[in-house]
Order: sequence, then structure tokens, then C-alpha cells
Amino acid sequence: MSLLDKFAAQRALRAGLAESGRVAPIATPMDRIESATAATIDGRGVILAGTNNYLGLTYDATCRAAAIEAIEALGTGTTGSRMASGNYAGHRALEQALATAFGWPACIVFSTGYQANLGALSALAGEGDFLLIDADSHASIHDGCRLSQATTIRFRHNDPENLDRRLARLGEDARRTLVVVESLYSTLGDRAPLREITEVARRHGAWLLVDEAHSFGVFGPRGLGLCEEQGLLDEVDFVVGTFSKSLGSIGGFCLGRHAETELLRMASRPYIFTASPAPPVIAATHQALRRVLEGQDLRARLWRHAERLYAEVARLGYRLGTTSPGPVAAVVFDTRAAALALWQGLLDAGIYTNLMIPPATPAGLCLVRISLSAAHSDDDISKIIAALAAHKQQVEALGAAA
Amino acid sequence: MSGAPSSAAADALAASIEATIREALGLIRPSAVGIAGDADLAQAADLDSAEVMDLVMEIEDHLDLSIPVETVAQARTIDELCAGILKLKRGTP
Repeated sequence: MSLLDKFAAQRALRAGLAESGRVAPIATPMDRIESATAATIDGRGVILAGTNNYLGLTYDATCRAAAIEAIEALGTGTTGSRMASGNYAGHRALEQALATAFGWPACIVFSTGYQANLGALSALAGEGDFLLIDADSHASIHDGCRLSQATTIRFRHNDPENLDRRLARLGEDARRTLVVVESLYSTLGDRAPLREITEVARRHGAWLLVDEAHSFGVFGPRGLGLCEEQGLLDEVDFVVGTFSKSLGSIGGFCLGRHAETELLRMASRPYIFTASPAPPVIAATHQALRRVLEGQDLRARLWRHAERLYAEVARLGYRLGTTSPGPVAAVVFDTRAAALALWQGLLDAGIYTNLMIPPATPAGLCLVRISLSAAHSDDDISKIIAALAAHKQQVEALGAAA
Repeated sequence: MSGAPSSAAADALAASIEATIREALGLIRPSAVGIAGDADLAQAADLDSAEVMDLVMEIEDHLDLSIPVETVAQARTIDELCAGILKLKRGTP
């Protein structure tokens, strides 16, 4: 067997996509982006309803101005790690602003959200320690576990009782265990039972890290996430988040309720061995953070859209990944053909969404993920609902046939 | 415990673990319960990587034992899964 033979499955997938002659449902080529919610695909204008641009801040005038100003003043990149020449005042100010918002003593900024999980998990849990992770965790959490020298154990998705049993089996070692959960799971849009999980972790003396990638900016009075909304900021030990969703840029962070979290910087390889975020990214993110903290107007609009879409999709008879409305609406199917038909139908109607299929999905589900933005207009939401209604019968027939 | 377990006891433990694996497999892929011990789970039972992990969680619940991801990461067959779990049961790395 030769080096590249292992890509047979990918080769077949690529050939199949090319053969269809249609716009590919994965890595869909975007011709041109027009705004936070509009783009051109295959020469046609579409509504973007498959990004993570929950607050629409990628095109916020003040964020763009901050990025441009930073390029003019500081250049396009840092060309150095935070541990070397890339430790600018802007990086430190953003960390300080995030820590202050949470009322916590430590925050570390990473160059991507993926690296935030990689960097936090691999540094926090070392040899002899344990990582107890939700079974449906994002790839960045799984990869962070692989990079750490700790022992990784999965517990059943959103099941505090199952977590409890695994912590009980660890006995004394629970005290050197880091429990890792996401607050909002982006595939099905379901939320973790954070209060119960926090209680279980505390009872066993374990540590808790919550990934707020898809909930930061969306939940809580100041948009700090689901922990803030549920009043758990005094209970959780670490919060990881990303800049590439509600904050509209790229990067990630790890916040700690304990001052020692600051020491992770000295030990985290994904933090040390990469260049620090570019000045325009940091400037735009910092401005976006200000907008999030005072962004009740944006959140109110996003939630109005979410509640309307969830109600209408349920009324149409589609199955959703969860019944609690949120910024992610996953329309779930048993067959790939039905999911693909809806994805294609929506695109033909001028709406871009995400097609998700196994093994990237839990429980072998196939789904079309619609993600909403505060930047969507009421008319955009009406068009999405109308397209869903128009394709219901055709999609249902495919679902039943397979 | 003193000394190595007798070979009969070891065989019985291995057999009970294999029975548990097949029982768990039956819940996820009923048609695959009888596949050969050395058959590739991905091919013979048509399990993707996520489903293999779900299978492991079923086994954990049946055996009341936590199975680290690292223990099963290399396991491709029922026999290999069984060997990994046996090592865990005996407390050897």
C-alpha cells in the first residue's frame, strides 16, 4: 500500500460530487460575499443561512473601521508568537477586557478557536490526569485530548447521571479530572444541562470547562453565554470560546476563574508555537466584544428570528434537532437523500444552509442546519420559511422511500 | 490478588467480555452480532468511527467500567477490543 492509497474514500466522494454537475454541498464555492447575510454562489444571489455569524458583526461599520485603522497603524501581521515578538498591547488589552467582562482573573487569547481547545485541554490535563468529555464533543476537543498526555473517557451526550457514574469509578482521581462540555451543541442545536453537570462535577471534586463557542454573544444579559444566563459563572472553572462566530473575526480564548490559569501560557504548545493573531483581527474582535456587551438589540432580533423559525418549521411538520428555539435550527432526516434534497431545494430557492452527514453527525443522523443572524431581515426569514414549505412534500417522499 | 489468574479463569473472563461486546453490537447493528472475531468492524459491521465510539459506551455501561479512548483507538476488530478491555480489567497498561 502506498502513501496516498488511504484516500480512496475521499477520491470517490470528490468524483461523485463532480459527476453531479451541481454546486457541491461541502466546501461550497462562494463567488462573492456581499454582506453578513448575502453572497453569490454559482452566479446567483443567495441568503446566507449557514454561517455562524449570529450577530452579523462581520460587516459592522465600527468593527471594520477598527480593523482598517489597526492595519494602517500596526501592519497586516505580527510574524511572531506571543512568546516572542508577537505580544502586542492590543492582545493584552483584549484579554483584559474579556477577563473583566467575566469578573475572572485570567484570559488567554489563541490564534483560532480550534487552537483554544487544543491549547487549553492539552496544557490543563497532563500525564496521570483524566479528561471526561461529552460523547458529542467537537473535533477540537477530541484533538485537544489526543494532544494531551491525559487519559480520555467519554460520557453519554448531555447525561449528568452517566457522567456521575464515570466520576464515581475514578474515585480519588476525580480531583485530577477535567470535565469538558459544550453549552450549545452546534450540530443539533441542543443545550447542555449545565446546572446538573456543574453539580455532579462539584460533588466529585472534579474541574469543569465549558466551551461557549456557539453561545457566546447569544445567551446571557451581557451575551457572555449560557453559564452567565444560568448564573453559573461562580461554579465553572474554565470557559473556552471563539472569535469566529458571534464576534465575527477569527481566534479563540480560554478564561479561568483561578489566577493560575495564566500559567497555561508557558506550557501550551498550540499557544506558543504559532504566530499571534494579526492586529486587524484583534482590533475588530475587541470592538465586536464592546458591541456584544451592549448588544441587547442584536440579541433581541436574533431571538425573535429563532422563535419564529422554530415555530414555523415545527408547524410545517419537519423534525428538529431540539425543541428549544436557538440560533441553530437542525432539520433532521433518516436518509441522506432526503437531507440532500432539502439542501439542494433551499439553494435553488436562493438560500444557503449546511448539509451535515455521518460521521460528522451524532447517531447517524443526516441534517440540514440553518443558522440565523441578527443581520437577517424579517423578509429573509419569510423566504426561508416559504422555501421550507415548498419542499416539504418532495422531501417527505424521499425520506419515506429510503 | 496474588499470582496470575489461571488460564481457565482468564478464558472465562475473555469469553464473558466477548459476549458483552456482541450484546452491545446487537443494540447498534443487530445484523452484525455474529461477525468473526477478527473481522474489521468498519467493514463487516458497517460501523463508522462515531458508531464504534457509541459501541464502546454501550460496553462501558454493560461492564460498569470506563474505557479510555486511547484503549480502543487502535482496535479494529472484536478480538482487539476484547484484548484491550481484558488489559484494563487486569489493570495492566
